[in-house]
Amino acid sequence: MDRIDNVLEIRGLVKDFSSVRAVNDVSFDIRRNTVHCLVGENGAGKSTLIKILTGALQRTAGRVLLNGKDYAPRGPREAKQKGISTLFQELNVVDQLTVAENLTLGMEDTTLGFLRRTDKINRMVSVMNSLEPSIRPHQRVSTLSVAQKQIVEIAKAVAAEADVLIMDEPTAAISEGEIARLFAIVKALRHKNVTVIYISHRLDEIFELGDVVTVMRDGRHIATRPVAEVKDRSELIRMMIGKTVFEGYEARESGKKDVVLEVKNLANHKLKDVSFEVRQGEIVGFYGLVGAGKTELARAIYGADPYRGEVTFRGKKLPPRPDKVIAAGIALVPEERRSQGLFTILTVRGNVPVMNMAKISRRGFIDAAAERRVTLEAVERLRIATSSTEKETAKLSGGNQQKVVFAKCLFADADLLMLDEPTRGIDVGAKSEIYGIIRKLSREGKSILVFSSELPEIVNLCDTVHLLYDGELKATLENGRGVDSQRIMHVVTGGL
Amino acid sequence: MTAQTTTMSAGPGSERVGTLARKLSNESFITLFMVGVLAVLFAVACLFVPNFWLPRNVVNLLTNYWYLIILGIGVTFLLITGNFDMSVGGNVALTGVVCAWCAQAASGSPNPLANGPGLPYGLSVAAALACAVGVGAVNAFFIVRLKVPSIIVTLGTMMLSRGLAQVITRGAQRNTSLPDVFGVVGNTFLPGTSLKVAVLIMVLLVAVAFVLEKGTVAGRRTYLIGANAEAARLSGVKVGRHIASLYLLSGLLAGITGILLASEFKAGVSSRATGYEFDALVICLLGGVSISGGFGSVLGMFVGAILLSVVTSSATGLLLSPDWQFTLKGLVTFLAILAQRFALDRRST
Repeated sequence: MDRIDNVLEIRGLVKDFSSVRAVNDVSFDIRRNTVHCLVGENGAGKSTLIKILTGALQRTAGRVLLNGKDYAPRGPREAKQKGISTLFQELNVVDQLTVAENLTLGMEDTTLGFLRRTDKINRMVSVMNSLEPSIRPHQRVSTLSVAQKQIVEIAKAVAAEADVLIMDEPTAAISEGEIARLFAIVKALRHKNVTVIYISHRLDEIFELGDVVTVMRDGRHIATRPVAEVKDRSELIRMMIGKTVFEGYEARESGKKDVVLEVKNLANHKLKDVSFEVRQGEIVGFYGLVGAGKTELARAIYGADPYRGEVTFRGKKLPPRPDKVIAAGIALVPEERRSQGLFTILTVRGNVPVMNMAKISRRGFIDAAAERRVTLEAVERLRIATSSTEKETAKLSGGNQQKVVFAKCLFADADLLMLDEPTRGIDVGAKSEIYGIIRKLSREGKSILVFSSELPEIVNLCDTVHLLYDGELKATLENGRGVDSQRIMHVVTGGL
Repeated sequence: MTAQTTTMSAGPGSERVGTLARKLSNESFITLFMVGVLAVLFAVACLFVPNFWLPRNVVNLLTNYWYLIILGIGVTFLLITGNFDMSVGGNVALTGVVCAWCAQAASGSPNPLANGPGLPYGLSVAAALACAVGVGAVNAFFIVRLKVPSIIVTLGTMMLSRGLAQVITRGAQRNTSLPDVFGVVGNTFLPGTSLKVAVLIMVLLVAVAFVLEKGTVAGRRTYLIGANAEAARLSGVKVGRHIASLYLLSGLLAGITGILLASEFKAGVSSRATGYEFDALVICLLGGVSISGGFGSVLGMFVGAILLSVVTSSATGLLLSPDWQFTLKGLVTFLAILAQRFALDRRST
């Protein structure tokens, strides 16, 4: 059969989320039977684009052609039927079933609801064997490694005759040896008529695996080039970050203040031997891409997750429990505002004072007047837009919800604040207000740790920047005129 | 939303809703809603059941279910945190039986059910309460420490405690060789009224629980845990310890109920309080307590108990065969909860 060269043609694709344009007039082609890499910083629009292709999101405007025909899936199921399968980071296999059962899951041949033995299963098993002979069909999936589970999913997509297989950060959770095996299989897919769209933050993988690379930035398409024509990582990084503008940061007098927080050899399931110091009044940034270990570091210091090593705050070792850490004078604005920070079914008044109830109560009895007063003060201080302190926080906008979480942490009267993705998902106005609050707190002598995957945020705010990659603290730099954003990107994408 | 956004201004459409209705919290709204339902049911019952409106009957309606209300306090608090306590019925039986057994004198009778260690009544009560709190401690251990779902653990302790009660009474009851003082608390009436001391205790406990729930830091923590346990932990709430102490409290309340009931009947009966755990759950649900946690109140539970009381006594008044009681209870629960859902949904749009 004579088929056209491009398996996917993306034309003027646009996706708006309320006030943000996440994908902005993106157009490019994906050639059949290639490994097409998609790179960009966090927030560049890769995930949104992928979600449109897999049917998880609906486009605002533009067209996508699959094999020359209009393609607009209304859901993941339709996407799969039309030939686009996805290998998500959260694998779609059932641990309790065997490999063979997983292969046919959802596509079983049945008679009146009873399973029927057909040769479909044999077909799928033979596809899998051609990819990876070491996996046996009657093995339970729970006995497989993550990489082997990925292979089962790949086999499933190949057997279903998928035209396109999207792989989202497939190497994030597997070991070096397994990566090599996975790459061999991905390369072999070309000969099985499968086009791979490959997303990774590890730039070396692009050079090893990719035929073509597309760079996205701020929702726009920057370039699509054969990998062979890209000179090196630096060129790729230049395309990814463009001209980052650091208008916000002003170097401050750095009279050496006392060290307040000391982290020594911190390690756990994600972190490897992390050590650093924080001085009073300092804003310290932790930058890294998805999966670098930022949140894990914040949670470990806070005592929310177990760790080895030692965390000392103002000369005292911190016990690994949030209530004790808060009592010692540290507060955390968590990464997920709705599931970890906010009590959405409670009112603004029900949220603001919770981290320091002692301040509004006497002998365990709440002083209702004091509670109302401090809530009003917080609403005015942070300019939280709400019709009343009695409004359920679920009904506030994202930015105002985040301000409520801030208010809650500020009320704890902490000397050190940890902010995990403090401006995620909020609009520009609220963002700059929050930056203002952070700078003001630091002038008041509070130390602040900012964990963020937005480079401009880090570079605009922080005095000192630590770079994380794969759970390790790779480099530390003092912010100032000379800071080199390309060097930063180089480090956090796994370069040295 | 920029810096210019006016804070504290009333949102658009605020005129559409009445001022009072808008000011109410969802919780007060549901409680008032159920009071409304109660009033309607009461009016209907007055039309059909002779003498239903008489003050004597109204007092009965309000106090009939004193034991369920005492149990309901602990169950409500736990439900607000998102946990069940299905062990309260069995715990009532166990504590009643233990209290009776301890107080029984060594009569020398050949019937083993007529002999006990003959402890003073005060000590017997203490032993029974210790036993009740012990059941709560077992619940707390499995739920908080071993993280087993509360419904499973408390169904287990429900059967365990009733089982122990049956062992102690050989499947029957202990009602002989009891000192006279054993029956005093349960059969004393408040001077000049037809109300038992137990009713007074219930009223006091509800009052204390109300203050605890609304006015204290501990009460607030209960809601925080139910609203978002992870956020509560990250906000410094000792989630495990709080839930554990609520199970101890629920055990203690079951113990008090068990002792009062045993005294009223001058017997420790192993089949006492069968199904009370479900009735306590039902009155909580009728009162608007959410089984997904974070929402509800002791006052609502109290209204729920009166509602159940109106339904069951009007059914008796209408000479409905007792066979229908369960079906009726089920129907009312079902309808009441549907109505609540409906009312809340209407309100939020």
